[in-house]
Amino acid sequence: MSATDLSVFENNPDMSVAPGDERDTLVLSMGPQHPSTHGVLRVMLKLDGETVVTAEPEIGYLHTGIEKQTENLFWQQAITVVDRADYLAPLSNSLCYVLAVERLLGIDNIPARAQVLRVMFAELTRIASHLVWLGTHAMDLGAQSIFMYAFEMRERILDIMEFVTGARMHQSWFRIGGLALDVPKGFLARIDDFIGRFPERLADMRRILEKNIIIMDRLIGVGKISAEEAIAWGLTGPILRASGVAYDIRKAFPYSGYETYDFEICTHAGGDCYSRFVVRLNEMHEAWRVIKQAREKFPGGPVVIDDRKIVPPPKTEIQHSMEALIHHFKLVSSGFNVEEGHVYQAVEGPRGEMGMYVTSAGGNKPWRVRWRPPSFYNLQALKRLAPGNLVADVVAIIGSLDPVFGEVDR
Amino acid sequence: MAEGAAPRADTSALLPQITQALGANLLEAVSEQDMDEIAILPAGLLPAVEVLRRDGFDLLLDIGATDHHPLTPRFEISYHFLKVRQATRYRLRVFPDDLNPVIPTLTALWPNADWAEREVWDLFGVRFDGHPNLVRILMPDDWKGHPLRKDYPLRGLERRFNPGGRMGEVPPVITK
Repeated sequence: MSATDLSVFENNPDMSVAPGDERDTLVLSMGPQHPSTHGVLRVMLKLDGETVVTAEPEIGYLHTGIEKQTENLFWQQAITVVDRADYLAPLSNSLCYVLAVERLLGIDNIPARAQVLRVMFAELTRIASHLVWLGTHAMDLGAQSIFMYAFEMRERILDIMEFVTGARMHQSWFRIGGLALDVPKGFLARIDDFIGRFPERLADMRRILEKNIIIMDRLIGVGKISAEEAIAWGLTGPILRASGVAYDIRKAFPYSGYETYDFEICTHAGGDCYSRFVVRLNEMHEAWRVIKQAREKFPGGPVVIDDRKIVPPPKTEIQHSMEALIHHFKLVSSGFNVEEGHVYQAVEGPRGEMGMYVTSAGGNKPWRVRWRPPSFYNLQALKRLAPGNLVADVVAIIGSLDPVFGEVDR
Repeated sequence: MAEGAAPRADTSALLPQITQALGANLLEAVSEQDMDEIAILPAGLLPAVEVLRRDGFDLLLDIGATDHHPLTPRFEISYHFLKVRQATRYRLRVFPDDLNPVIPTLTALWPNADWAEREVWDLFGVRFDGHPNLVRILMPDDWKGHPLRKDYPLRGLERRFNPGGRMGEVPPVITK
């Protein structure tokens, strides 16, 4: 951290230090390489003593032009790019994208096995993402060892991901029309192992943290926001639910068969950092319940639709069928066209409403994929949450917002 | 019904009010598969939002833009609204002027419009009238051009190191 010049505030009326201001204000640039900003966030803080007067987050350090790239790839190819935005929950991103494209295509016969696997892996992703949040958030507050607990458990999830999809981080496993591959032999044993092991580990972490006096001291009453204000600031996901609003897209606008699962919307009335902490812990448990139910259903059958214009034929068929070879060639070399139209699709990502407004101009590439990144809107509320708190609390607030900068900056 | 689609709430009762409030600024009203939407001119934005707010749409989900170049009208600014407690969505598509795209800001009504509008300005060059701090948000402050416009090249920015030169100086806009 270092004090900097005031020129960055020139264009911002409420950040400029008024001439004749008696208070002893200090301008502090926090980040962009500060360890507790969880990526590359710079927050310009105006301080009165140790109290924050105004906070202005500066973003854009991780802008990679994902939206522009998406417009220049075939519909299927874009999945790999889409995966890389929210890098802690890649499968949530691609689920949103494939659902949107499937709606534009009018595909309504996704096989039951694919749907169940999509739900199962979206929830595994949610747990993995919340575990990273838990580990780093606790570490920000000074609890070092919990990081190891959380990452050990996340490692088990990533092992399952790697076993099934071949990749630990960016799986690109969901495809338009289903899944890229069926699960390999031995998958069920691994998922059973995870289902059996997880509740105990979660309870361990709960025991260490939930009633921990340091955690409670640092989080209760910090970064408080009422339900009305949370709605006005466009907050979604665990942050909105921690202000007492029971809004969850899995219930409000169900997709992938979520209406057939039994799980609770976790809410908390406090609206402060501690409420968000508790909501995310509870959400991990609910996600585990959904995974368990998906495991119990686990139907057989194919994992992709049988439409050769959308999904390439299986390799064995390509080897002896001319027609299959042509289909494969056409899909790889020029993709498929999607009828003109636009659709808004949202899924409940680990951070909130992950939405995509996809426009097709009739070609083999998306005309425009507009993201509604939950972190972008959640992080913006730092302007409202930080003032009045201490500098050290800003770290706790950023942690409780759980931003991922791949997604904020895209 | 597609896999992502859920039965959606009926918002057709809003249309008479909107028609009355907007008059000639209402271009089209469509009931899409995901939600009802209206296409309007910039002058109709604030009256339309007024009707939606009165009806209980309390959360501004997103402000995004699409460049339909070389078609005209070129820019489409899409607003998604949500009634949090009734799970109802509504979409506005605003079509500003091609050469001088200006739209009234919503920052006075929803604080989260701030960054969303800055992003649209940064990447598309659509201005928001009355925005308190309309500066770039994702691109560097001294960048030239608006990268998500369709006439902005995907590649071609790289050039020899030029001390004293400014970033993004080379390509910009291929005019129609």
